[in-house]
Amino acid sequence: MERKKALKESLTGYAIISPWLIGFFFLILGPIVASFYLSFTDYDLLSSPNWIGFDNYINILTNDPRFRQSLTVTLIFVFVSTPLKLIFALALAMLFNTGRKGTGFFTTIYYIPSIIGGSVAIAVVWRIIFGRNGAINDILTTLGLEGMNWIGNPDTALTVLILLVVWQFGSPMIIFLAGLRQIPTELYEAASVDGANKLQTFFKITIPMLTPVIFFNLIMQTIGGFMIFTQAYLITQGGPMDSTLFYALYLYETAFEYLRMGYASAMAWILLLIIAAITLLLFKSSSRWVFYESEGGR
Amino acid sequence: MKDTSQKRWLMSMLLIGLMIVVTACAGNDNTTSNGSNGDDGTSPSNNGQTDSDGDVTIRVAWWGGQERHDMTLEAIDLFEEEYPHITVEPEYTGWDGYWERLSTQAAGNNLPDVINMDNSRLMEYSSRDLIVDLQPFVDEGLINLDDVDEVYQDLNVTEDGFVMAISIGANALGIIENREVLNEYGIELEPGYTYDDLIHALEDIQSATDDEFFGFDLANSEFEMFFVYARQNGQSVFNETGDGLGFEEDVLVDFFDLIQTMVNNHVAPPHDVMMDYIDGGDSMVGEGSAAASMAASNQIIGQQQSSEMDLGLNLMPHLEGGEYGNWIRPSMSFSISAHSEQQEAAAAFIDFFTNNIEANEILQADRGVPVSSVVRDHLSDIVDGATAETFEFLELVEGYTSPADPLSPPGESEVRGSFQRVVEALKYDQVTPEEAAQQFIQEAGAILQ
Repeated sequence: MERKKALKESLTGYAIISPWLIGFFFLILGPIVASFYLSFTDYDLLSSPNWIGFDNYINILTNDPRFRQSLTVTLIFVFVSTPLKLIFALALAMLFNTGRKGTGFFTTIYYIPSIIGGSVAIAVVWRIIFGRNGAINDILTTLGLEGMNWIGNPDTALTVLILLVVWQFGSPMIIFLAGLRQIPTELYEAASVDGANKLQTFFKITIPMLTPVIFFNLIMQTIGGFMIFTQAYLITQGGPMDSTLFYALYLYETAFEYLRMGYASAMAWILLLIIAAITLLLFKSSSRWVFYESEGGR
Repeated sequence: MKDTSQKRWLMSMLLIGLMIVVTACAGNDNTTSNGSNGDDGTSPSNNGQTDSDGDVTIRVAWWGGQERHDMTLEAIDLFEEEYPHITVEPEYTGWDGYWERLSTQAAGNNLPDVINMDNSRLMEYSSRDLIVDLQPFVDEGLINLDDVDEVYQDLNVTEDGFVMAISIGANALGIIENREVLNEYGIELEPGYTYDDLIHALEDIQSATDDEFFGFDLANSEFEMFFVYARQNGQSVFNETGDGLGFEEDVLVDFFDLIQTMVNNHVAPPHDVMMDYIDGGDSMVGEGSAAASMAASNQIIGQQQSSEMDLGLNLMPHLEGGEYGNWIRPSMSFSISAHSEQQEAAAAFIDFFTNNIEANEILQADRGVPVSSVVRDHLSDIVDGATAETFEFLELVEGYTSPADPLSPPGESEVRGSFQRVVEALKYDQVTPEEAAQQFIQEAGAILQ
């Protein structure tokens, strides 16, 4: 009797979440399994796949200079843009945490780029700003300096994209803001009684108390950084000379332009392993620098 | 308690198993459906409702700019008036993304009934049985090619007579020249002028002008330019069988040397400037900062619309002691997909675009000079400006052509990508012509195997 009731209850529960379940199985788990299988085939999207074992993986790792290029570009991008983005986000969050009037309005304003950042319009705007006759060059010309086409130059194109992504610091900023508001004010009061200056309170109180939030943001932004696609696809298409060929961009090109779906699937799984390894490293390191309140004073 | 958790475990396992089976089946769909559209010369069959009185819907896909979309939609309205039982669902985009979208539709067995085809992709689609033989429709008179000269259709027919597509228009490679700029400096590029003549002319303008002058806009078409250059050397980009390259290394080294020299001597724009114009949708030759640009002949129609200056078409430069490298080709074509269940309606649509005079008046030869001589003659009396220029140009080119190469093999797009990357490095002066040629030949060889 009891059991019947319990079964009925759980069935009701399953029924309620069934839309999500169906979506999960058919739109997420299904494709994941399929792509794992396809990564061992020569699937070209148009004819049926043939099993070729580890050939794709071997080719990617030993025989593909563009894979190495795309990995290098992506790593540079992640390791430069993520810290910069977090620093900006924290700086702005500190600014908005003063509790002055109107901070809500400005928070919203600064959050906007993150919402529209992946849009075609923004890409076009950036192309114009950094283009040959764009605002950046106009400023340089008035300063008596030589302008250039920042997006068309292999030495600067990546920097332009890094700037664009750093400019989209809205989400980590909001999370930092929440984190800052969690810090008990007694700590600051005690510090000011002890005569600590601004810098000391920042490094001795704010940063340590924020470490869980910093850690969270770091993980999310790093993973997000590896998946950068839209901005580069819209602005540079990976050029010039593959200087902005991000991993996801190369993967897309391989899959949908050159129709090498099996190869691209293998690339996707290699990317998963890379992201997993880096995330694992971050987690391993976290015991050294992330402090949770429950730990008490260590 | 334990019981239910076991049950749950079992249920989720079952679900996962089911899912794997489902996805596996979906993956095999292609194999069973392929080849069911007899390419053995059987008469055209509709697996849908074949009722000629019944209402049918066909999907038509094409690429292009906004002007082309507007004209095509207008022509489609006319078609629907003429064939009240057929409804056309248009699917149009720019060139970017067009092929990606088609390939995903192909994977989902969901290709549009009528597909706008490019020469460079025909083999890819035909070798995978994604398009049907149109010969039966021609035989039955559903697609009327009586007024179409063979030269326009040659490339679309395989050796064993399989008609992959019907050409919508003809064009040829050439240069768009800014006549005002050339006249101002008293330059005339007479048919038969050489690459050297062009470079000297540009150098003359460059030294005489104080304005920003880029010379010859390569327009991101270096690959097309090399097609002609290889043919002028009596060779070709791809070999006959399509499993390798068809030219000798020194030909490519010479070509790369030409490109690099032009850029370094400021008679061709730096690569980043060129891309800046393309991304911004601007035209150097249209604004007069370049004297000429590489193009396909029908591109002048769009370019002239956005330019104040007088533009004209001209032949590509001749190679000293070389052969005629140009050829007249379908600028683009229509194919019927193997997934189509309304092949007769699709054929009617193609026939309409080929032969209907009123429709072609709307379309303004923007996809190339019409292939039907009746339509062509009718239009040539009424068109003017840039469109007329394309008509005259094709007549001129005819005297400077050699037989066309076979269509590019599947994998052309990847080879093109490799070529463009190498050209980029070359124009940025990062590699020598020799290194660039070696790199491309090696990469292309690996792709084509």
